[in-house]
Amino acid sequence: MDISPDAWVLYEWRGLQLNATIVFTWAVMAVLVLGSRAVTARLSEGETVSRWQVMLEVIVSAIRDQIAEVGADRPGRYLPFIGTLFLFIATANVLAVVPGYQPPTGSLSTTAALAICVLVAVPLFSIGERGIGGYLRTYVQPTPLMLPFNLVGEASRTIALAVRLYGNVMSGTVIVGILISVAPFFFPVVMQVLGLLTGLIQAYIFAILAMVYIGSASRSRRRTERPTDSPETTATGD
Amino acid sequence: MQIDWLTVAAQIVNFLVLVWLLQRFLYRPITDAMARREERIESRLSEAKAAREEVEAEASRLREQQRALEDSREEVLGEARQEAAALRDRLEDDIREEMEARRATWQDHLQDEREAFAAQLQERAGRQVIEIVGRVLEDYVGSDLASQLAGTFADRLAGLEAEDRDKLKQAAAHAEGPARVQSSVALKTASRSQITRAIHETVAPEIEVEYAEDADLLVGVRLTIGEQTVDWSATRFLNRLETTLDEVIEGSGRHRPRPAPATD
Repeated sequence: MDISPDAWVLYEWRGLQLNATIVFTWAVMAVLVLGSRAVTARLSEGETVSRWQVMLEVIVSAIRDQIAEVGADRPGRYLPFIGTLFLFIATANVLAVVPGYQPPTGSLSTTAALAICVLVAVPLFSIGERGIGGYLRTYVQPTPLMLPFNLVGEASRTIALAVRLYGNVMSGTVIVGILISVAPFFFPVVMQVLGLLTGLIQAYIFAILAMVYIGSASRSRRRTERPTDSPETTATGD
Repeated sequence: MQIDWLTVAAQIVNFLVLVWLLQRFLYRPITDAMARREERIESRLSEAKAAREEVEAEASRLREQQRALEDSREEVLGEARQEAAALRDRLEDDIREEMEARRATWQDHLQDEREAFAAQLQERAGRQVIEIVGRVLEDYVGSDLASQLAGTFADRLAGLEAEDRDKLKQAAAHAEGPARVQSSVALKTASRSQITRAIHETVAPEIEVEYAEDADLLVGVRLTIGEQTVDWSATRFLNRLETTLDEVIEGSGRHRPRPAPATD
């Protein structure tokens, strides 16, 4: 059985394979972009607001609030990156209820790509916030002895991000596949429902962790002033 | 379970494209709309606040104005009351004066009428009395009225009170001129001598007596010695009658209705 949509090749042209991961990613993107476009094309700024616009406003402001809760001073600065992480992962996971759909987040390639984006975004936001010198100085704090550990931590948390998401989503699919052979009618439905919940939680965890990494890199000086405010403690185990 | 690096690269691109697309179609419009709505609400709230402050200022200004109006109204009312009282007093005085003047005019008029009436009455009564007396005297005494007058006068002179006689005697003693006898009709010699004799007997034996006529006496004789006068004449009766009539008219006039009094 295929446990990765990467292996599901839909089209091949001169050695370039168009696999299901990319196709379903485009589908998710299309859903997100077209849905947003349809609503935001008729935005209202008066008293009467359409319910779709209300829904989008609730989602966007909730993401902003979450970013602000993690500790960012300017949530609007991180909103596009963190919000897109959350919306993409959540939509990709929720669409799993559609028959024939395989979530692209179940592919290690997708999660790795997202983790690499986070890996790159952390120094970028940090440099943008504090300058290159300020960013590089975080690697030798509190002492230069910590430099190798900081580097290892940077790499390991990126890998952890990728594998955590991939494992959770892929395991859901795998468990459903196994349960279909054991108890064909009842358990898969329960597991699908559970999968929806898990998918949303994973989206939330991924986005929040990314924000925590970015935030910690951007304001480590403040963190030294308040040593109890460790962002790592918010990373829930899974 | 392996990583397809080509797919990874494609997914990175996909993700970045998605970030850009969503930033363009979702985050920016939504946040802008929310910001604008908040701005509008803010501006409306501040507008409402400004309007409310304005209204409150206006209200306090109006209250102030109203208070000033009430104060000035009290003042104006007090002045008007004073003016009205003064006007009323003046009008009352005017009316009282006018009523007094009318009453005085009426009194004058009444007095004139009364006097005219009295005079008329006196005249008529006099004529009537004279006529009656004349007729009576003619009927009962005969045609010799003058001699009868002389007799009567002589009798009266003789019957004078002692006091009056003394006065006449004193007057005769001090008198420089003659005694003067006036009669309503010309007296005959006999009558004259009768009177002269009576004077001589009663008053002074040597006094001269001169005779004259006086139509005012109507009927009667008057003796004047110095400042003393004794007369017996119809005029005296008539004068007494006039006095009586005056008293009667006075008494009746007091009971006549007066004009309506002024407002009091």
